[in-house]
Amino acid sequence: MGKLTISHLIETGIWFAIAIVFFAFSFEFNQPIEIYKFGASGWPRVVIALLLLVTCGNLFHMYLNGSASQKGRVGIADDDEGEASYTTPGALAKVIAILSTPFLFALSLKPVGFYFAAPIFIALVIFLFGERRWKWILGITVLLYFILLLLFMVLLNAPLPQGNVSPFYDYSALLLTLNTKLQQLNLW
Amino acid sequence: MVENFLAGSASLFGDPMTIAIFVFGVIGGMLFGAIPGVSMLTLAAILLPFTASLEPAQGVMLFAVIYCTGTYGGAITAILFNIPGAPENAPTAFDGYPMTRQGKAGKAVGAAVLCSAIGGVASALVMMAATEPLAKWAIRNIGPPEIFALVFFGLAVASSVGGRTLWKGWMSVLLGLMIATIGQDPVGGINRYNFGLVDLAAGIAFVPAILGFFAVSEIFIQAEKKAVGKFDAPEVGMSFPSFLEIWRHRIAVVRSILVGFFCGILPGIGATLAAFMGYGEAVRWSKDKEGFGKGKLEGVISSETANNAATGAAMIPLLALGLPGGALTAMMVAVFQMHDLEPGPLVFYNSPDLIWIVFAAMFYANLSILFIGLLETKTILYLLKVPFQFLAPLILLLASIGSYIGRGLVLDVVVMFGAGIIGFLLRRSGYSIPGIVLGIILGKIGEQNFAQGMQMVHYDLVAYMSRPICALLIVAGALTLIAGVYKAVTSSLQEAK
Repeated sequence: MGKLTISHLIETGIWFAIAIVFFAFSFEFNQPIEIYKFGASGWPRVVIALLLLVTCGNLFHMYLNGSASQKGRVGIADDDEGEASYTTPGALAKVIAILSTPFLFALSLKPVGFYFAAPIFIALVIFLFGERRWKWILGITVLLYFILLLLFMVLLNAPLPQGNVSPFYDYSALLLTLNTKLQQLNLW
Repeated sequence: MVENFLAGSASLFGDPMTIAIFVFGVIGGMLFGAIPGVSMLTLAAILLPFTASLEPAQGVMLFAVIYCTGTYGGAITAILFNIPGAPENAPTAFDGYPMTRQGKAGKAVGAAVLCSAIGGVASALVMMAATEPLAKWAIRNIGPPEIFALVFFGLAVASSVGGRTLWKGWMSVLLGLMIATIGQDPVGGINRYNFGLVDLAAGIAFVPAILGFFAVSEIFIQAEKKAVGKFDAPEVGMSFPSFLEIWRHRIAVVRSILVGFFCGILPGIGATLAAFMGYGEAVRWSKDKEGFGKGKLEGVISSETANNAATGAAMIPLLALGLPGGALTAMMVAVFQMHDLEPGPLVFYNSPDLIWIVFAAMFYANLSILFIGLLETKTILYLLKVPFQFLAPLILLLASIGSYIGRGLVLDVVVMFGAGIIGFLLRRSGYSIPGIVLGIILGKIGEQNFAQGMQMVHYDLVAYMSRPICALLIVAGALTLIAGVYKAVTSSLQEAK
């Protein structure tokens, strides 16, 4: 097995799986284009073939050298070099929470809307990043929420998701109505 | 030329409204470029509907100014937080962020200010002097085969920087190319890889992907460091680079201006590839190759000079041929169309005033980078003192807004956070995020131009390679590729012994 580890094999397996899935789905649009000999699937399949080829090259490198960087490579940030090790289950749980919170926030935007979800998200992220002083969490949440509303709602009138479920939608509508009334005052 | 420039300057500074728009563009571009999470594209997308109520010259000028100053502004976040404000600032982070970690943020930002201004002013001067002849040259000599060849060369260069090994560099680029195939194919408009989702038929928008891969993944990396107790805030270094330090890199500056201008002039290529190639060429010609990526001033200088040198050049295909070089120049086409104008050769004869106001505004915008940039640098460096737990939610929310505003799709926000998680995992395994982003940006352009080129030469490879510029770029790309593979294989074998 050389210097190959289980994680190297999993990594290679994921790349092969990506290539296989994309190749399999390429049959869905494998139809000729009258003006173009290679059709819609030609380019993606070349990319898939090249991906398989370089994945083999990567496997060869990992077989000989494990996870070591290739000598003379440039543009690798120090942050990208080391892999963090989780000494406690709490640290792993914290990282999983940090990774999933923004994703859940994004999924909640359609039903809940930006205006309602944003302050909860701000407070949650500050908390997950280690802040435990509740006065600071509250203060910064209000400050950031106010800045965002001022910039994007009041000054730039940017259209943001309003939600489609009551009472979240009603809250967004209330804020937007207040903004319309503010604009009608012609303060600037 | 001088008379036209003076007339353009007089029109620009003769009307208070035009001055106000110019100042707004300069400050807005710098701010939106420098706020982590949003970019000049966010500002441009928000402002686009408002330009309908402006004069045509004011609207186009506003976008041109935002383009110049926003390209510089994106370097600030790349240097301070490893979050490039725009893809064209990605190579700046290679050396800029390590400099911040070493307490040299002031030097890196100062160099970015100076070199952005130098590259931008040089480019604006060439643009004013030679738009028409350069456009004519481009029409005669540059076609789809040359653009594909440059994309190939650019990808070969990009794969050689970033990524723990050459293989990972290439895998990153190919993943980007793969993502770019999602959506309609550029020749026949056939849906590819939309997995039954209607919103995916238009493909993956590159702004959310870029924000996810760069900004969100960086937040996750820092969050992980906090969770495992390895987080240390970077030092704030206020010292600026001396004139001598910049002078020592004069050859790199000139080389990057040439590279940037050449890339910028090609339709569809723009500043991103310019920055990568400027950086790649700096590495190629340097005696201290190992120093790159570890905080070398020349890395910042090369990429920032090249990307701003491309801004003026990108206006040449836009104004002379009506071909946009990137997302922001594409929005400029929309501004033209809102006012019943079409960018192209006729615009020089029908609206010379508009052209020269835009040229003058770009020249002054690049100059103002120098003055406003130097003034604001010290203030911006204090951003590093804001505790990260307060900065992170702001960046994530700004990035969410930036992703959503482009197309008004919640899917784009989901894609952004998905890209953030993938980017986080890939960075931990030594893959190149800038490589993925470049693949996404150049994938469609490369495929479209390859298809058009093949149709042009009736699938005859000899005819394809008989075009000198195309052949030169393909051979250069192939040599870069072969040399890289040879080096990767031999170094793997040597290190194994």
